[in-house]
Amino acid sequence: MPFVRVDGMKFYYQQSGQGPDVVLIHGITGNMAIWPLIDVIRALAADFRVTYYDLRGHGYSDTPPTGYTSADMAHDLRKLQQALGLGPSYLLGHSFGGVIALHAAVLYPEAVRGIVLSDPYFPGLRHLENDVPRWSGWQEYKQQCARAGLEISDEAWFDVGDVLRQAATLTPERRAMFEKELGGPALQRLVRLAATTCGEDVQAVAGLTAERIVSVRQPVVALYGEHSPFLATCRFLEQNLPNCKAALVPGAQHRAHEENPAGYVALVRKHLRDMAGLSGGPARGEPLAVEGTT
Amino acid sequence: MTAISREQILNDLAGILKNFHGREYYGEIGPQTRFFGDLGLASIDAVVLGETIEAHYGRKLPFHEFMAGLGQRAVRDIEVGELAAFLHRHLN
Repeated sequence: MPFVRVDGMKFYYQQSGQGPDVVLIHGITGNMAIWPLIDVIRALAADFRVTYYDLRGHGYSDTPPTGYTSADMAHDLRKLQQALGLGPSYLLGHSFGGVIALHAAVLYPEAVRGIVLSDPYFPGLRHLENDVPRWSGWQEYKQQCARAGLEISDEAWFDVGDVLRQAATLTPERRAMFEKELGGPALQRLVRLAATTCGEDVQAVAGLTAERIVSVRQPVVALYGEHSPFLATCRFLEQNLPNCKAALVPGAQHRAHEENPAGYVALVRKHLRDMAGLSGGPARGEPLAVEGTT
Repeated sequence: MTAISREQILNDLAGILKNFHGREYYGEIGPQTRFFGDLGLASIDAVVLGETIEAHYGRKLPFHEFMAGLGQRAVRDIEVGELAAFLHRHLN
């Protein structure tokens, strides 16, 4: 199995394709399997060398007790790039993976060529998102959590730490509810993270203030679900970053990669190819029509 | 190269899955055993399983196709027999 060692920790990763480097970063409580499940690897590997990995505390990577802020995990990403010999990379980050990607652009600008942000909300921009409990999908989300034995409050919608604590201390009856609704592995993922500082760390601004966010000069695409809870963040990014455009995934909420995988993959591919200057010509691997030869 | 029978593949899979990365499974593993529902595996385990199988047979197999097919299912689960059929097709 391919592991890369960073600061004494093991990170599980995979790599496919050839070309400019693209790194895919999943969100908190997810893992890197989200990418092959939507077939985005094959879609990108014709043009790029695609590297995707499990964040610390996730999937088959190690789980240190601390170090889960976006700054810590941007540092992991930078070390992983170096250990694997990646060049300056295009980054695609979903949800908190997007926060990590943008933080990497702030801390290591030389290592990041462009970013596709997939529906992140930023702790440093929380003031923009006071309306999340009025988002159209909020009640449904709350109800699903309730069926899984978790209580979510409108006031603390961002409190990942509370959700992890609840998951780790479910009564046997509620544990059965959770497993029925979301499955045993999902519970194991939350319990694993509950033993770390992840729940608190991901709520920390950790230096990624609004001022730093708008300082990012690389090309950024803010790719949000048409019905995302975080459209205020999307608008803010589009209006305030020097080189950012917004794109919406039709019909999707926060998890566009699952809610509209074909639309999501097409937009990701288009925008990464645009950033890399690959649009307008034939994709790598397609036959080249050479002028004057026929 | 000698053809590998479906029975042999099922046997190999049962051997790999009964102690998958330290998680022991004590039930019988047959063609109808479901990866997620019965074995308690998750999608990330399917990625690792793909690699384990490639290492077992000593060759690359089109697991991106397999994962993409899994991702398109309304009920995201798959039986050992379906994986065996996939492998039987690509190993022979």
